[in-house]
Amino acid sequence: MTVTRIIIDTDPGVDDAAAIWLALASPEIELLGVTTVAGNVPLEATYANACRIVGLSGRADVPVMAGARGPLLRDQVFGKYAAIGAFPKALVPDSGMTSSDENAVAFIARTARGAAREGRPVTICAIGPLTNVAMALRLHPEVAQGIERIVVMGGAFRALGHRTPWAEFNVYADPHAAQIVLGSGVPITMFPLDVTLQALFTATHIEELREQGGAPGCALARLLTEFDRSDPEKYGRPGGPLHDPMTIAWLVAPELFSGRRAAVGVQVGGSTSGHTYADFNDSQARTTVMTDVNEPGYIALVVDRIAALGAAPERTAQEETKK
Amino acid sequence: MTISTPVIFDCDPGIDDSIALLGAFVAPELDILAITPVCGNQPLDRTVRNALQICELGGRADIPVHAGCHRPLCREPIHGQFHGTTGLGSTVLPDPSKTVEPTTAVEALIAHLGRAARGERSKITMCCLGPLTNLALALRICPEIAGGIDRIVMMGGAFREPGNRTLTSEFNMLADPHAAQIVFAAGVPMTTLGLDATHQVMLLPDHVAMFAQKSGRISQTVAELMAFWDRNDVRRYGSRGGPLHDPLVTAWMLSPNFFESAPARVFVETESPLCLGQTVADWYGKSGEPANVDVVTKVDAQGVIDLYLDLMSRYEERGAA
Repeated sequence: MTVTRIIIDTDPGVDDAAAIWLALASPEIELLGVTTVAGNVPLEATYANACRIVGLSGRADVPVMAGARGPLLRDQVFGKYAAIGAFPKALVPDSGMTSSDENAVAFIARTARGAAREGRPVTICAIGPLTNVAMALRLHPEVAQGIERIVVMGGAFRALGHRTPWAEFNVYADPHAAQIVLGSGVPITMFPLDVTLQALFTATHIEELREQGGAPGCALARLLTEFDRSDPEKYGRPGGPLHDPMTIAWLVAPELFSGRRAAVGVQVGGSTSGHTYADFNDSQARTTVMTDVNEPGYIALVVDRIAALGAAPERTAQEETKK
Repeated sequence: MTISTPVIFDCDPGIDDSIALLGAFVAPELDILAITPVCGNQPLDRTVRNALQICELGGRADIPVHAGCHRPLCREPIHGQFHGTTGLGSTVLPDPSKTVEPTTAVEALIAHLGRAARGERSKITMCCLGPLTNLALALRICPEIAGGIDRIVMMGGAFREPGNRTLTSEFNMLADPHAAQIVFAAGVPMTTLGLDATHQVMLLPDHVAMFAQKSGRISQTVAELMAFWDRNDVRRYGSRGGPLHDPLVTAWMLSPNFFESAPARVFVETESPLCLGQTVADWYGKSGEPANVDVVTKVDAQGVIDLYLDLMSRYEERGAA
């Protein structure tokens, strides 16, 4: 089994929490660090949440870093649940974990440059606004050389945006950063709303997490109950999406997904700022836009793995999944 | 002055950057903590090499040089038109034996300014001679460092004067307008020497002849650099010669009494294809936002020329610094 070395750049966020736990629950993944950015909630809250997410899984060895307080250039916008800020402690207990003082951008740049020199490029799963990743890419040309791929949760092509009618939140929140990342020359795999909205987690799945899960699984069940993501009117059936874990699931089980090469652009500024568009006929395109997911396969992967994480406290997460 | 002012030169040498640095090197009033070349007048590898060579020429190999950003934040790179293929005109300097520091410019800025912001050292003046990419990125990565900046003294912008690279825009602003926007919004005291100021100080052929006589051991190089700088465009500038852009930053640091300025709110255009990089000064509070920049409006040109003649004369003895 090849182990993919990743950094998760994130703005937790409920579905971010699921992505981080899925990574920690997957022996195919070595999580080098979690870098946080302002997005769904302000930076202090994303950092605190990330510390608690990692801490709850007992993996204090994975460093968590704070990065950008706001977008590169545009005025700051937060997610739908911004008012909540940090997760209520009744939902995600505080393990008291504190983490690295290193700046998130410095960590990404240092790790990527080291990876470039060792000839072992790292993968970045970017599941928040792309501010940190964009700034790291601008620091030094070696940074891009040390990144094998950036797996982005972001954008909307045929699907409507969810933050605005024309834009998905992560791109809308920092379109300049998205443009920098998409133009960096690093291979990109993009998970837009078109694919993330195809898999809906229902009350049954939440129950499964609650009944079978360890501390992380139970916390995720509480989060999904407290912040109900379902919208039958919008989605036409029960259940709510978990966008961010798709980036991790794809690294673990790419056979669950299909996508197409496309040249992707971002509208920066103007009245449709944050709109993404794709040319699927560009033969030179280096970005892969994911278009379809095997819904039951994806949901089973997320639920089973996160439920198993920390379920038997004497085992490490990795031993648990090998069982 | 008994205590020297700590400064960092963020620059893209460049002929006029080189003159500004050579002037600063021999001014005991300035304690140059670092030089941070950026992609601008020339690509990064050239501005770094030129900075190293100018340090050695000026006998200041002791100053750390940190390589900056290899390209602007958002737009594609553009380079200067009046610096020749190497960035130093027709001047050929020996290959530098001095090497660039292992840490990047942005890391160095965060480290120096961070110490100043935490009160671990005195505040630092940023002398910015090029596109503002390095400082903008440092401020975005670590906003706290703004507290470590005493003042930003920059060459940039065109206010009542037309642009130089385009009809509306001065080169440093045009080369990275998004970085300029970040820096102008940083809430740090700021003085800018735009084209309104720099076009008042033309380095005439007669001046060049004087520098060729008075610049001691670096006379030949200084004269070559300055001669290359002559735009030979009387219709545009009203005389022969070239405008002394970047050296005015050093001059402002040493003799602020040569300059008059007016406070204004400065905005930078970042989207318009026609006016990208245009700086708009609100002198009269029309925007409802407070002034954020002291825009230099008037310069004692003779005073500046005399100051540089005095500075360059300090290279009389070999190794003078």
